[in-house]
Amino acid sequence: MNRRNLLTMLGMSPVALATVPTLAAKEKKPDQKKSTVTSGGPKLEVLNPRGLPPPITLIPMAKRLDTLDGKTIYLVSDGFPGADAFLNQISIWFKKNMPSVTTVYRLKAGGFADDDPKLMAELKDKANGVIMAIGH
Amino acid sequence: MQIEKMGIPTAPMVTIAFKDLALTNAAKRGMPHERICFTPHPVWGKTDEQMYAYLEGNDPVTGKPLMKEVIGALTNPLTPDDSKSGTINPPTGAPTFVGSADELQQQFLDNGMSDFMPVILPTREKVDAMLKGTSHKPDEVVGKMTPARGAFPEWSYTVEQVAVNAVMAGATPDYFPLLLAIGSTGISALFSSTNSLVSAAVINGPIRDKLQMNYGIGAMGPFNQANAVIGRAWTLMSKNLDGGGVAGETYMGSQGNVINYNNLIIPENEKDSPWTPFHVQRGFKPEENIISFFFGFNITQGQGARGLGMKPIPHYHEAMSANLAPFASMFGALFIVDPLVAKGLGDLGFKTKENIADWLQKNTLVSVKDVKTMLFSGLPRGPEAANLTDDMMIPKWPRADSYQFVVCGGQTNPYHQLANMSYRLSVSIDKWV
Repeated sequence: MNRRNLLTMLGMSPVALATVPTLAAKEKKPDQKKSTVTSGGPKLEVLNPRGLPPPITLIPMAKRLDTLDGKTIYLVSDGFPGADAFLNQISIWFKKNMPSVTTVYRLKAGGFADDDPKLMAELKDKANGVIMAIGH
Repeated sequence: MQIEKMGIPTAPMVTIAFKDLALTNAAKRGMPHERICFTPHPVWGKTDEQMYAYLEGNDPVTGKPLMKEVIGALTNPLTPDDSKSGTINPPTGAPTFVGSADELQQQFLDNGMSDFMPVILPTREKVDAMLKGTSHKPDEVVGKMTPARGAFPEWSYTVEQVAVNAVMAGATPDYFPLLLAIGSTGISALFSSTNSLVSAAVINGPIRDKLQMNYGIGAMGPFNQANAVIGRAWTLMSKNLDGGGVAGETYMGSQGNVINYNNLIIPENEKDSPWTPFHVQRGFKPEENIISFFFGFNITQGQGARGLGMKPIPHYHEAMSANLAPFASMFGALFIVDPLVAKGLGDLGFKTKENIADWLQKNTLVSVKDVKTMLFSGLPRGPEAANLTDDMMIPKWPRADSYQFVVCGGQTNPYHQLANMSYRLSVSIDKWV
C-alpha cells in the first residue's frame, strides 16, 4: 500500500496527518463561503476555546518480514462483534492460498483499549507477524 | 501500535466506516504511516461466505486485492518515513481570532468549535468576568480529557480555557465552579463509541438554589437558564478541550443522540423527596455541593408499564421492573422519579432508595436463554456459571447498586423516567469556588 498516495487521495498530506486538525488546515475564509456572513461591524478579538493536545512521539515501525512462508502469524481480535468469525476466514484463506503460513487466533482480553500483558508476552515470544482485526 | 513497538510487524484491519478515525488516530498516536488495511463495512452480521468474499475482494481505499495488501503490510520494506522518530507539537491555532461578530460566528462553525448554534463570543472582557467566578488562577491546569480513554490522546486545559467555553455556552460566573468541577473529572459528554452514548450529571447541595436551577416542573427540559447552559457548556468543553466531537474522527455514534446537545442535567429535588439525597448516599454532607456523573445508552419514559394502573397506589416497583426489559446489563439503571413516585413507593414500604434497589435486584429476572441472545449483556462468571441452564431465571444485574435513584420533578403527576446508565463518580463543586 502506498500510504503517501493514500493520504493524498484522502485530501491529507502525511505531514498534516501527523498533527491534530488545525485552524490553519480547516479554516475557510468567510469571503470564500456562500453564506450570508458580512464583514461589517466592529472588529472583535476572541479567545481560542481549544485545549492543549500532548506532543506526538513518532514511533518507528517494526522491521518487515522478507516473506510469510513458514512464518507464524497471530490473528488477534480486539473483541468487537464479528472479529472472531472474520479472523477465522483469514485463517481459512491462508490454508487455501499460503499453506506454509501458520495462523494462531487469540482474543485480546479486556476492552478494546485495554492492555493484555499475557497476550503481548506470547506475541513477543512466538509471533512473526500479527493481523489485528479492529472494530466492527 | 503497541505490537509494532515490540518489533513485530502488524497489519491492522479496519472496516471502511472507520477510515478517517483509523488514519487520523494512528497519526495522533505517533504512527502516521501505520499500514492499516480496510475491509468493506460491516463485518458484524455477515455470513462466513460474505466475509470470505471480502478477503477475495479489494481494499475499498486502495482498490487493490485486500489480502495482497495485508501481506504487503507485513512484508514490504520500510520507507524512511516509516522509521522516523522524534516529537511533534500539534498546533491548535492562534490564541485569539479577530473579525466582525458575523465572521467570528462563522469561524466557530467552520472549525467545529461550537454545537452548530450561535455562541456567545468569548471576548477578553467576558472571559475575564467569567474568571472572577473562581479563586483559581487562569493558568492552572484543570484536568485531562479524551473522547475515549485509551483510544485517543488526552488533552489538557486550563481554568481560562474552560472559561472560554463557559462564556460561549452562555454561562454566568456563578456557574463557573460547577463547570470547572466537570472539567476536573476529564469526563467527555461526547464519548466516541458507535453506540451514540449519552451523559448525565446529578447536582446536589445548596448550589441548586444559588444558581436558581429548576428541579421542579420541566426540570429536564429547556425551561431554565442554569440547567440548559450548564449542559451546553459540557458539550462545548467536550468538543474543544479534547478535540472530541468530530464526526467520523473522534465521534463515531452511528445515529448520534439529541441528548448530546446539552446532556441530562438533573438537579435533585431534595426539598420534596422523602429519601436521602444522592450525594449524601455517597458519603457527602447535605450542605456540600456535589456533581455526580452517569454514562450509558439513553433515557426512556416509565408511563404505560404494567402496574401503574393499580389502585389506590400504583405499583411503581412492578412498573420499574417491567420497564427494564430492553436494558442492556453493560450499563446500570438510573431512575429519575418525581417526588410523587418516591412518596408512593414510600407508602408501599420502600422507605429508602436502597430498599427499592434491593427489591428490583431480586425481582427483575431474565432467563439464561435470553441473556445469551442479548447484546451487551453477560452471564455471571465464576464457579456458578457452570451450573447455569437455559431455563434458569437470574437477576438482570447481580448487584443492587446497579440501580440508582434520583428524585426530580414538579409533582404534576406521579411519573418516572429511567436511563440505561451507570454511575461513575461524584466530585466537589465547592473546591472550585
